[in-house]
Amino acid sequence: MIRSATRMLVTLALALGLVTPLRAAAAEELNLFAWSEYVPQSVLDGFTKETGIQVNYESYASNEEMLAKLMSGAASYDLIQPSEYVIEALVKEKQLIPLDHAKLPNLKNIGKEYWNQPHDPELRYSVPYMQGTVGIVLNTKKVKDPVTGYGDLFQPRYKGRIVVLDDALEIVTWALAAQGIGFDGVTKANLEKARPTLTQWLPLVKVYDSDSPKTALLNGDVDLGVVWSGEAAILIQEQPGNFAYVLPKEGAHMFIDNLAIPKGASHVDAAHKFIDYILRPEVSRKISDEFPYTNPNVEARKLLSAEQRANAASYPPGNPKLSTFRDIGPLAADVDKLFTDMKAKSGP
Amino acid sequence: MKLVTRLLGVWTGFVLLFFYLPIAVLVLFSFNQSKLNIVWTGFTLDWYTSLWHDTVLVRALQNSLIVAVFTTLISLVLGTAGAWLLYRYRYRASSVLETLAFLPMIVPEVILGVSLLILFVTIGLQLGYTTIVISHVTFCFPFVMASVQARLAGLDPALEEAALDLGATPLQAFTKVLVPYLMPAIVSGGLMSFTLSLDELIVTYFTASAGTRTLPLEIFGRVKKGLDPSLNAISTVFIAVTVLALLITEMVRRRNP
Amino acid sequence: MPPEATGFSGAASGGSQRQPGRIGWLLLTPLIAWAFAFVVAPAVIMLVYSFAHRGTLGGVVLGFTLENYAGVLDPVYMRIVIRSIVYATITTLLCLGAGYPVAYLIGRSDERLRNALLMAVMVPFWTSFLIRTYAWVTILKSQGLLNSIAMQLQLISEPFEMLYTPGAVVVGLVYTFLPFMILPIYSSVEKLDGALVEAALDLGAGPVRAFSRVIIPLTVPGIAAGVLLVFVPSLGIYAVNDILGGGRVDMIGNIIENQFKGNARNWPFGAALGTTLLVSFALIYWFVSRRQRAETGDPGERVLRGGLP
Repeated sequence: MIRSATRMLVTLALALGLVTPLRAAAAEELNLFAWSEYVPQSVLDGFTKETGIQVNYESYASNEEMLAKLMSGAASYDLIQPSEYVIEALVKEKQLIPLDHAKLPNLKNIGKEYWNQPHDPELRYSVPYMQGTVGIVLNTKKVKDPVTGYGDLFQPRYKGRIVVLDDALEIVTWALAAQGIGFDGVTKANLEKARPTLTQWLPLVKVYDSDSPKTALLNGDVDLGVVWSGEAAILIQEQPGNFAYVLPKEGAHMFIDNLAIPKGASHVDAAHKFIDYILRPEVSRKISDEFPYTNPNVEARKLLSAEQRANAASYPPGNPKLSTFRDIGPLAADVDKLFTDMKAKSGP
Repeated sequence: MKLVTRLLGVWTGFVLLFFYLPIAVLVLFSFNQSKLNIVWTGFTLDWYTSLWHDTVLVRALQNSLIVAVFTTLISLVLGTAGAWLLYRYRYRASSVLETLAFLPMIVPEVILGVSLLILFVTIGLQLGYTTIVISHVTFCFPFVMASVQARLAGLDPALEEAALDLGATPLQAFTKVLVPYLMPAIVSGGLMSFTLSLDELIVTYFTASAGTRTLPLEIFGRVKKGLDPSLNAISTVFIAVTVLALLITEMVRRRNP
Repeated sequence: MPPEATGFSGAASGGSQRQPGRIGWLLLTPLIAWAFAFVVAPAVIMLVYSFAHRGTLGGVVLGFTLENYAGVLDPVYMRIVIRSIVYATITTLLCLGAGYPVAYLIGRSDERLRNALLMAVMVPFWTSFLIRTYAWVTILKSQGLLNSIAMQLQLISEPFEMLYTPGAVVVGLVYTFLPFMILPIYSSVEKLDGALVEAALDLGAGPVRAFSRVIIPLTVPGIAAGVLLVFVPSLGIYAVNDILGGGRVDMIGNIIENQFKGNARNWPFGAALGTTLLVSFALIYWFVSRRQRAETGDPGERVLRGGLP
């Protein structure tokens, strides 16, 4: 009886495509390690169709998750998708392979403003993939008073109706910004200044969610919050007229997610090909269609619909006060501890 | 004690209702037209048909099943052998060995995942099917072992003796007498093993690679984007298939008491 | 070949065991090897990491420092440890209260009903844990199933806030762990001598006394196993409370996760927390199983009564 059961199981295993992994080793591959759901399948399929290179898309949900897997040396990745402050740290630690611009003719499509950012001034190691902001989203049916900044948002009358990102660095930076300290002011000396602000703010928060804050807003469990611009853009698309996006006047985080090639990549050439493919306006536009963040590719922007261009969350009008995050090194542990402490004290 | 039984029955009914409420919601919403999974807008089978074209998801399901099958096979061998050996022989290291074997069963998965990742990296083992199976077996085989140990305690030693007296070789006594006796425990341990492996998320996160994503990993990635009903659909399919498998196993068991 | 040499003799009656011969040890090697390779080795690595320094991009810089363990004792984290213990205890007690009657019924049922009930309990276990938990979001949210029904039936005029509360977390935890309580207790109940139970219930003692004086004490091994299988893992939980608690109910599992996958990038600290928990668990398990071992000599016999081996 064991024999027949074993035979059944083995046959099952084979029938389920045990052959598959063996077959994949033959074709050329590209190991892409990116944010979950951030690279559309249609783009990957298009690339494979054109070049014959199979793309293995492994995903992560935070920069730190990516670093953990990357630095453990457990797997070999050809492309990673870090945010700007992580690029800065990776460059400092010499963990990135410099890009060969000769292999990236489409790089010229990237807007001028992205060529001089502090984390990688000449785009030597990274290429911007998508840009976004972290700002205030309001359910206009429920929130009638003007909310122009963090100060306006974290008010007792909104207690229990607020959603924010579950991100220590973000929240601490906002707390400092509300006191007039710039985004590069996250230092050991300033850290304690965040404490009184957080003591005031955090008891008002209902939900912490970095993955899908729009869910709580759509469910009507919260009415306003500070979220990624892409989330807000989706809300505006889903229920136009119900939601508004406002960049906090005290200063908003502009994040840039980039493609970069880590040290130890085995398919450097394929990685370059992929980057150049993404930089094509018509391909880049597909990404914008699925993820309404700000597209750094100016040629791709020309291909977008008027509706997409008008979405205030994707393309904020005016001249808002935007800053990127800097790498803060070991202070990250202290930031996390402060946030953990404040969250625990303010929670149930 | 009819009353006692009645009351227990009612209570059990409530508990089962509690168990199945989310399942019912899950299944119901897999037929919901709205992408947002919030309000019922109409009936559709679209999410099921979309599953058919979802090669990434299907591949993930394949991976999960492959891993689960191998995990179960190895767990069955290790677990049954371990249980039998510890039953038969009095080793000096018995209690230590038992504690070690059962430790992964109760350790939080985050710790298990990270420590195994560190181990694999330290010894230079590339992440992939092997590492996933190893991590799954590590916390699955204790269930087999516990199940078989319980069954062994009820073993009538005269059974084996009789077989040997009647001319069977020790090996034959093992395969034709002992193993069939243990079969219910092996099956239930194997089922637990299979299930745990299929639904495993956290440990797998740390020990899988890009090419070997399992279904829970894939669902985890998508759930972050928002509750797409195709996830409900695949869960419903999952339930349907496993219930079917259970019913078949039950029928097979009825034929081999 | 005499049967004794192979160990396949019928001498192991009533739970007495034989001394292992060469073959006995040889057959055990795979198990020992596995335990060493995949339980001991990772634990040792984690221990080494817990004394190391934090690496810039995560990871560690090997060395020796006690700052990580000092961190473990910090009141910030102690508060969270206590909270985790409170939630784990509440969950365990609720699972025990809710699960024991069910386990009892299953254990005392005839085979057909028993199998059907066991299947009924197991099947939800078969679905993705994440999807099950998110289904609870749909049920508990302010415009969700329960609130909608209650409003329709005019039981309440405004939605009752259930989601993103500690209560929701407890519901989720109990939901996740109830089967772990039911199965070991059922196993204990099933081995109960039917005659004994009948006697207890028939001889004039009311059902309450019959249960508390006779039945429940006999199923203590099963209860102990259930308690351990619920309490310990629920200490390490992080996803259920994250989803159902709105990220506000951080537990030890979340802290550990943070060190490896979150902002902190502090592996050594995570390793210190992990090692502390691992050692605590191992000690608890060892003590509990030692006490049980003192009561009955045979591991199989103990498991047969539904307890730990």
